[in-house]
Amino acid sequence: MLILSRKTGESVVIDGRVIVKIIRTDGDTVKVGIEAPSNIPVHRQEVYEEIQRANREAATRAPLSQVPSLAHVKAKAPAAHPLSSPATNQNHSKTV
Amino acid sequence: MSSVAEIDIAKTLQVQLPLGLLGFEPIKTYSLIAKPDQEPFLWMSVPDGEDLAFLVVPPSFILPDYAPDLSDDDADFLEIRHPDDALVLNIVTLRSGGAATVNLKGPIMINRHTMIGKQVVLSRSDYAIQHPIRSA
Repeated sequence: MLILSRKTGESVVIDGRVIVKIIRTDGDTVKVGIEAPSNIPVHRQEVYEEIQRANREAATRAPLSQVPSLAHVKAKAPAAHPLSSPATNQNHSKTV
Repeated sequence: MSSVAEIDIAKTLQVQLPLGLLGFEPIKTYSLIAKPDQEPFLWMSVPDGEDLAFLVVPPSFILPDYAPDLSDDDADFLEIRHPDDALVLNIVTLRSGGAATVNLKGPIMINRHTMIGKQVVLSRSDYAIQHPIRSA
């Protein structure tokens, strides 16, 4: 592992495309800013691993015809068919 | 363009996930399959007989006020300009004993016009990765 010392406000450039900047330190917490192209996913490692694990758990490795009935799983009152109407999340915003 | 008519006729639709699902990055293309007796659940399955599929559900059926935030970067990546452009699907895990949970923390956001999507991770939210789905 490459280990570098950086001061607050200094950055590291990775592959000419990803910039990792030390924003602030506070005790054992370091605030970093990451600038990366949108096709490079950036995640907190523990969250990434948690979602990865969840996906693996959810993966069904059986032909769809052999998958058990879902009759026991009841979603709440259907509105419209999911693919027939726009998503209803009006609160869904583009804020960071 | 994805239309209801297309869905009703073909019952399948392709979704492109250029970055793949977390843990399944190499797989970029899924078929979205609706089975009438299983709605509102849908299957996201790997075409070409790979026997791998994910059960998904539009979150409005689970949590009507679910409001995932899309970052500007993700909105740009998916070219989602308006909430109505987004088709949101959450992955369901079937568990033993008939229980099921849904991942509200890592929804799949799809541009319903281009059918290009991405599994996003909601950074600032209390949404659970294993949100229980109530059985009847």
